[in-house]
Amino acid sequence: MTTTRQAAAAGQATPTRLATAARLIWLYAASRRIPSALAAIACCAIALRVALLGHWDAYGALQLPLVIETAAATIVAATVASPFGEPERVCGRWLPFLRFGATVALTAAATSALVIAAATGGHLAGGTLDVIRNVAGIAGLGLLCAAALGGGLSWTGPTAYLLPGVYALYTQWHGPALTTPWLWPARPPRDLGGALCAGLVFAAGLAVITMRGARDRLGDGE
Amino acid sequence: MTAGMRMLRIELRHNAMALMVPVVAVLFWFTTYRRVMAMPPLWNLRAAGLQMYSVIDFVTPLTGAAAWMGSRESRRRLADAVLITPRTRWARLLAIWAATTIWALVAYLGCVAVVYGMTAGQVSGGGPLWWPVAVAAASLPAFIALGFTVGVLLPTRFTAPIAAIAAFFILVLSTELIGHNIHSYWQIAPIVAFAWNTGSNPGVATFYPYLPDLSIAQVMFLAGVAVTLLGALALVRESRVVRAAAAALAAAGLAAAATAVLLVGTSTMDTHGMIRIADLHDAANDQPVQFTPVCSHTDIPVCLNPAYAAYLASTTAALEPVLNEIAGLPAAPVQVLQEAATYRMDPHVGEEVTPADRNTNGEAVYHLLLPVQMAGPTLTTAQMASQVKWTDGPNIVANFIGAGPGASQAQNAVAAALTMILGRMSADPDLQASLNEDAAGGPGLSQLGGLIRGTPAQPAAERFAALPAHARRAWLASHLSALRAGQITLSQLPGAQLP
Repeated sequence: MTTTRQAAAAGQATPTRLATAARLIWLYAASRRIPSALAAIACCAIALRVALLGHWDAYGALQLPLVIETAAATIVAATVASPFGEPERVCGRWLPFLRFGATVALTAAATSALVIAAATGGHLAGGTLDVIRNVAGIAGLGLLCAAALGGGLSWTGPTAYLLPGVYALYTQWHGPALTTPWLWPARPPRDLGGALCAGLVFAAGLAVITMRGARDRLGDGE
Repeated sequence: MTAGMRMLRIELRHNAMALMVPVVAVLFWFTTYRRVMAMPPLWNLRAAGLQMYSVIDFVTPLTGAAAWMGSRESRRRLADAVLITPRTRWARLLAIWAATTIWALVAYLGCVAVVYGMTAGQVSGGGPLWWPVAVAAASLPAFIALGFTVGVLLPTRFTAPIAAIAAFFILVLSTELIGHNIHSYWQIAPIVAFAWNTGSNPGVATFYPYLPDLSIAQVMFLAGVAVTLLGALALVRESRVVRAAAAALAAAGLAAAATAVLLVGTSTMDTHGMIRIADLHDAANDQPVQFTPVCSHTDIPVCLNPAYAAYLASTTAALEPVLNEIAGLPAAPVQVLQEAATYRMDPHVGEEVTPADRNTNGEAVYHLLLPVQMAGPTLTTAQMASQVKWTDGPNIVANFIGAGPGASQAQNAVAAALTMILGRMSADPDLQASLNEDAAGGPGLSQLGGLIRGTPAQPAAERFAALPAHARRAWLASHLSALRAGQITLSQLPGAQLP
């Protein structure tokens, strides 16, 4: 009898808990403007596809995608700002998991969207690995900036990094070439050093955001 | 202090751009300063580089910071609170824009001061070019107005990054869209200082003044864009009078911007390699810059524009062996004088530019065009001197003797013999490869060699070259007129009887 009751209770609780989890995820996504972020990422993908219609020279073929990859990465980083601040930190024990899941999912969505956009008839000079490395690394920079400066200012790092990245690409044609792996956009797609640096930055940013979240600043969560 | 100034002071103290100044300074040092200071110490090169690279450096952080400031009232939910202040919304917004612009201009002018200050200590002639500085400075209020307006109208967390990157994207895209078209409207982009196809060329704006035509159009466009965007801010939530004034302002700005774009579409490249816009052109700028050349103390002086004084020693050393050989002889040049490059459209390649050659046989002045005056990769002083030695050296001899495809075998043999004192081959394999092609501006070493190779003139040239220098000079002094007239045969050359 007892066993039957426990089984029945568990059977009732599972759908309820799932619904609660789904609602929690949705509320988190809505509070972080993740639907808007997905729309913005879709716009980036469309922009990349349109840009690939042109027959760019060696610079443009690599620089224009990098600019769009940076845009997608800043959008990922901009979603970590919380509109609630301290109350949410105190009450939300699932918050680290939500932050981790949302950031990883958005980064994956951004890279996927750009790769798919390029795959539909366009030619991406750097290839898929280039997109994954650049988006992840630059998003990691944004996440670190969000933790240090606040979610609203998470764009400062990626946009500032864009210029040395573009410059490093330029130096591949007009030496002396900048070859440090920390400027990974200028490294070949299969370069291990560049991938490690980008991965390290993304991992660091993800870890900090997962554990601490973005720094709270007035108005950042709008 | 008036209320307006107080408001501006408060905005200056609470402006995001102030926090971005160190970021901009680091970016400027990394991508602009190092590149510009690595260029040869010529005002034209460094000014053009400064304009292009500094605009690229400033655009992203500026636009982002401006969008961030524009969305401030909405982000902080102050829109209703500030609505009751005595100042109009437009005045408040303009104060924020002005404060952001002031911080940006302070940062930019600091960067200009460093680059121009360092350059002033290195250059040997000419003066700083201010139009490129003005264009870059005018771009700052315009980009700030762009970011600020977007921030005011769309205050979301995504606005600042997207505005910043979109502005950068437009700049990068404009460089791609200019292509090879000298009439391209995209030249209105503030990163364009010279004809885009030729790049920042050391040969322009030294012998002739810098043409400000394109710069004037760019400043007009940027000012027009800024005024239009700022005027657009007052078209909503303002009184009827303010809206009317703002609409008039925006219309005027739009007209100025559109006019500037149309003017740029009429641009052409003039013979001095600069962009000319007929409706903005001042004929006074077509007059050459007056200068006293710096000359070497050789028998045949080598004279350069003071801006190129750094190259005098190496150029003289490169030409000295040939000049010593012919100095004092009749028909020898009395001076080697640097000339301005002349640019022209190539009917086949489009806007490809090539220097014109003005040297003729037997002229008293040999017109020298340094390789650094021409478009191409940046050369070191040694590379440039090597090119002068292997192209201008043989050309001077050929002009002196009258050698060339239509000359007698004896003329070509003597000319080839005199160039043999330079050596048989350039030490620079890249240069030697280029010499194997047709040398621009004269027969050059390879062509002289090609004219006699495999003919009886070749051994005659080698025998003439083997003579002692005084014997060659003595023979040339007495036979040069006849040689130039084609009256000397190979058998009459000295040393012809030698085995």
